[in-house]
Amino acid sequence: MTASKFLFAGALGLGLLGACGGASARDMVFTSWGGTTQDAQKQAWVAPFEKSSGLTVKLDGPTDYGKLKAMVDSGNVEWDVVDVEGDFAAAAAKTGLLEPLDFSVINKSELDPRFTAADYIGSFYYSFVLGYNKDALGGKEPKTWADLFDTKTYPGKRTFYKWSAPGVLEIALLADGVPADKLYPLDLDRAFKKLDTIKSDIVWWSGGAQSQQLLASGEAPIGAFWNGRVFAVQKDVPNVGLSWNQNLTAADVLVVPKGAKNKAEAMKFLAEASSAKPQADFASLTSYAPINTQSAKLMPAAEAATLPDQHTASQINLDMTYWAAHRDEIGKRWYDWQAK
Amino acid sequence: MASVTATRTGAERVRRQPRPVAGFWPTTPALFLLLVFFVAPVVGLLLRSVLDPQPGFSNYAEVFGSTTYLRVFTNTFVVAGLVTLATLLLAFPVAWFLAIAPRRWSSLLFGIIILSMWTNLLTRTYAWMVLLQRTGVINKALMDLGLISAPLPLINNLAGVTIGMTYIMLPFMILPLHSTIRTLDPALCRAAALCGASPLQVFAGVFLPLVASGLGAGILMVFVMSLGYFVTPALLGGTANMMLAELIAQLVQSLLNWGLAGAAAVVLLVVTLTIYAIQLRLFGFGVGHEVE
Repeated sequence: MTASKFLFAGALGLGLLGACGGASARDMVFTSWGGTTQDAQKQAWVAPFEKSSGLTVKLDGPTDYGKLKAMVDSGNVEWDVVDVEGDFAAAAAKTGLLEPLDFSVINKSELDPRFTAADYIGSFYYSFVLGYNKDALGGKEPKTWADLFDTKTYPGKRTFYKWSAPGVLEIALLADGVPADKLYPLDLDRAFKKLDTIKSDIVWWSGGAQSQQLLASGEAPIGAFWNGRVFAVQKDVPNVGLSWNQNLTAADVLVVPKGAKNKAEAMKFLAEASSAKPQADFASLTSYAPINTQSAKLMPAAEAATLPDQHTASQINLDMTYWAAHRDEIGKRWYDWQAK
Repeated sequence: MASVTATRTGAERVRRQPRPVAGFWPTTPALFLLLVFFVAPVVGLLLRSVLDPQPGFSNYAEVFGSTTYLRVFTNTFVVAGLVTLATLLLAFPVAWFLAIAPRRWSSLLFGIIILSMWTNLLTRTYAWMVLLQRTGVINKALMDLGLISAPLPLINNLAGVTIGMTYIMLPFMILPLHSTIRTLDPALCRAAALCGASPLQVFAGVFLPLVASGLGAGILMVFVMSLGYFVTPALLGGTANMMLAELIAQLVQSLLNWGLAGAAAVVLLVVTLTIYAIQLRLFGFGVGHEVE
């Protein structure tokens, strides 16, 4: 480790120094995104795990990729299990930021293979869906991604996820008529050209809560949302609808940072968090889908019906392997385009 | 005789000024904190910007070579400049009123200004979102009154950032301005008027030079703080008005390109120090000395 790395890591992760006296050998730290998601993870995963293992799990958050890298670079890793986005995990595995998982402890056979790899397992999965506010659209109900780009029939602001991540570029290409099985490799020129046609009408959402506010208020009457967030809005605003047509699946995954201090405990926690019952409980609390194939049958039928895995007819899986390979290149181009 | 006077004044000077050593030691804890938590990371940042991913100036070449980054730099200066100008225009009358108003009124106004500073920044910024958005209070009211037929674009653009930041920076202009105006002797302005100066001449020839140091301190504080601002531009601005702090956060957190982030931060630091140096040249050391 060079001196500059150490110093910069110090600058970024002031928390690292403060946390020196933190977790003892028998504790472990689980870091996630905070808010309702982490509350549900605490209730569905952490509480039963503490009971069965006798370990104490400390919660930290929100997830911060810069901090994670700083910890690994400086060799002072305070986080044992971290909830991250799928494309980040796939890229981080390549650059050596993650520990390989121990599948003698974690039961791989029950896990959805779409979200499982040597360095990560699924945390939960969700779909990008077309959400809309009927009141703000004069009663009209859009159906397809192409409608999202049709500002004549559906006037008003449209909202998309702000950060460079799988989803928006795929939606632009699907709206432009690219067949689902021809999406990858992404035709970036074509995607940005399509997005240019509505650029002045786009409002970006940077977090789930903001997306809910935009949809509920009609500030942006139409957009691409995480399915769980649209359900949350529907509870309060019944005139909000969604279309599952060509819903795009993406996952949050759980990883163990390279050099984590409580690796063995972390593996046990992952085994618990990914097992059928905790996954089912989490799904009931959030409307995000379980990554354990045995969970759905443990859930009440009405709740299971709201999950993305009930809408597989036209479902498309976002390709995390493609994104892991092109994450930096797309990210640069994405932010350049946004700033124009 | 001459030598006696010299000795006496010399002795007086020694007695009046605390011995430098005795004055220095109490500052060491603060200096130590700054050294460990500010100077060292800044040096680390500097090193990283020329060492990561390989030794050389490739990061700086990228910062100056990319039209996107240049646009972000320009945006940053445009926003900081607009905010400084707007706060200056709004703060001057307030600072003046604070200085001449009866004590009761000036205390009340002071209280309001201080209270606004003590309220959480994020809360105040979200409040502006509620006011400025298309379905927000301002647009709804104007449309209900029939003054406009479509919502005004007040958020996610330059207007949103300027409004929100002007509001947040206002106290940082009012306070230094007020502290110099307060020490101003009104008799000087009256004297100038009696000697036949027009109101404009009194303002430009007597008043302005006398408050120049407070003015300089306020301008510097607001401009420099605006250059590095993050929360308000991120929430009230659009992606096309991205400012430097947002870009740096993006490079650090999302793209994990710390070398480039370091280079951008160093450029911002150098620009800030340059502006500070210019201000010292023009206005001296600012409020602190003027008040003495």
